[in-house]
Amino acid sequence: MNDLPQLALRDVLAARGISRRQFVKFCSLMTATLALPPRYTHAIVKALDKTTKPVLVWLEFQDCAGNSESMLRSGHPSVGDFVLDLLSWEYHELIMAGSGHHAEAALDRVVNECKGEYICVVEGAIPMQDGGVYCTIGGKTALDIATRVCSNAAINIAVGACALDGGLVRSSPNPTGALGLSEAVPNVPNLINLGGCPHNPVNTAAVLVHYLTFQELPELDQYRRPLFAYGNLIHDQCERRAHYDAGRYVEEWGDEGARKGWCLYKMGCKGPEANYNCPSVQWNGSTSWPVKAGHGCIACASPRFWDTKSPFYDRLPKVPGFGVDVKAEEIGWIGTAAVGGAMIAQVVGNIVRDNIKPKDTDGHNHPPAN
Amino acid sequence: MHRAVHAAPDLPWKATTPDQVRVYVWEWPVRFSHWVMVVTILSLSITGLYMHAPYTAAGGHGAYVMGWMRFVHILSGFAFMLGMGVRLVWFFLGNKWAHWNQFIPTTKSRLKGFIAVGKYYTFLAWKPVSYIGHNPIAGFSYMVIYLLVIVEIVTGFTLFSFVVNSPTLKFLTGWLPRLIDIQYLREIHFLIMFVFWMFFIHHIYTAILVSIEEQSGLMDSIFSGFKYVPEDHLAHDLAETEGSEEAAREVASVSASSHKPAA
Repeated sequence: MNDLPQLALRDVLAARGISRRQFVKFCSLMTATLALPPRYTHAIVKALDKTTKPVLVWLEFQDCAGNSESMLRSGHPSVGDFVLDLLSWEYHELIMAGSGHHAEAALDRVVNECKGEYICVVEGAIPMQDGGVYCTIGGKTALDIATRVCSNAAINIAVGACALDGGLVRSSPNPTGALGLSEAVPNVPNLINLGGCPHNPVNTAAVLVHYLTFQELPELDQYRRPLFAYGNLIHDQCERRAHYDAGRYVEEWGDEGARKGWCLYKMGCKGPEANYNCPSVQWNGSTSWPVKAGHGCIACASPRFWDTKSPFYDRLPKVPGFGVDVKAEEIGWIGTAAVGGAMIAQVVGNIVRDNIKPKDTDGHNHPPAN
Repeated sequence: MHRAVHAAPDLPWKATTPDQVRVYVWEWPVRFSHWVMVVTILSLSITGLYMHAPYTAAGGHGAYVMGWMRFVHILSGFAFMLGMGVRLVWFFLGNKWAHWNQFIPTTKSRLKGFIAVGKYYTFLAWKPVSYIGHNPIAGFSYMVIYLLVIVEIVTGFTLFSFVVNSPTLKFLTGWLPRLIDIQYLREIHFLIMFVFWMFFIHHIYTAILVSIEEQSGLMDSIFSGFKYVPEDHLAHDLAETEGSEEAAREVASVSASSHKPAA
């Protein structure tokens, strides 16, 4: 694999019409996304200039290719352009030219020849039920492929909600027994989860750049998500936060508050419980993100969000066992009213008892002794 | 440890009947934690309901309605915890009526009393069973409420850890959202508020009922600490046998020599 001609990154980018200035801007974006001080931009530029194009394989299992699309359509010149040129992409079903046995041979070659050196990106959930027959590629199950490829990688990046924890595929009733990478293949080396539906390509690029620059993963949280991207609440970074604190809320879609850009809290926005850097990194070349476009956050980067954060347009989840139309609030009020009613019945009962009781039952009983 | 039961002079607005003595039942930490709980549950409910579904629209450029609601809610939460902390200590240091064994029925007499009181509440008995402190059902229901208080404090802290993004708090509470999702923790935190209201309604009702039935100055007692108790009840009060023997002797001697008001 190392017999390929080594082209300088500068020349490769120039050939694609990407100027040095755009490259340095990209490095600045990476520095900012990683929350590093500006002086690190220089270190990143130097490190990326010297990069010898490490090998990357991108595995797709039960997915919609949304994370690949997100990577490839991330702006112009896209983050994807830089990442494609920084690394040697040996296997990616969506974009590779080869197919069939040739493609699988390329994957085998990476696993055998670059053992412990390549970067593995996983997209999609892994089905576990019935021997994993619900997702097979080239006659092998997703679980087999993931076990073989991920175990031999230097780092593993799980992109998107499905690779994080099973995502949509795993949501109730989960007919294929789908799991995320960390649960399907425990103890994969150097796993980093980049949840989100889809993942934000800027974060994925930043993780790759961090690895290429410092040869290690950024700091992770308890779900093995990088803190630079998942360390803060959406709510705390939201441009509508001032309306939340002031007490100005959209009451229904298209009302005056919606037109004025008020807070979407009452429309079920999950920003207050979602950790992500969506408001600061944004999408499509940092033009917009869901709340900016007028829709509440659905916490797509949170664990098991399809099951736990729905209904997306209500503040609280449905109370299990009470049917889909009953809100927690209604249960509370009705329960309180029922207790009030029972107490009134008790008052009436006590008045009746006092009026009908036999004469010799005045006074009290002493507590029963042992 | 266990304060002596002592008779005290009459108050201007409530005279003891000939067979009654005034007994200091609720010590100041009990009353303090009770009223802290009343005030904070009220303020936590009002602000919490707003935080759940903001019911007023704010106007003006300087509006900070949600900000203040959250501030008062968090402040009340800490006050609530302070009150609970005082009460928790007093489960072990307080007098026999404040002791933890009045809340968790562990003795035979306490379990028998549980059934006897239950018969009166369900109209299966004519006469109420009189306890100087909490009757076994009341004590048990308070224990359930204290457990719910703990759930409220833990879920509240977990939600708060998201707000302040404190590594220490997240270290302490981070395990919980992994077991139960943060949205369901929020829902539990919200629904338990209604349980407190249900308890509140029932609590007021029984307090008035017992106050009328026993003429014991029960409603006064949560302000002053003193109850008006027929003298023979002191001898029959079982709280001391549920505590230490030393306390039992103490009570017996005080009971025997207690001041009898002039008829």
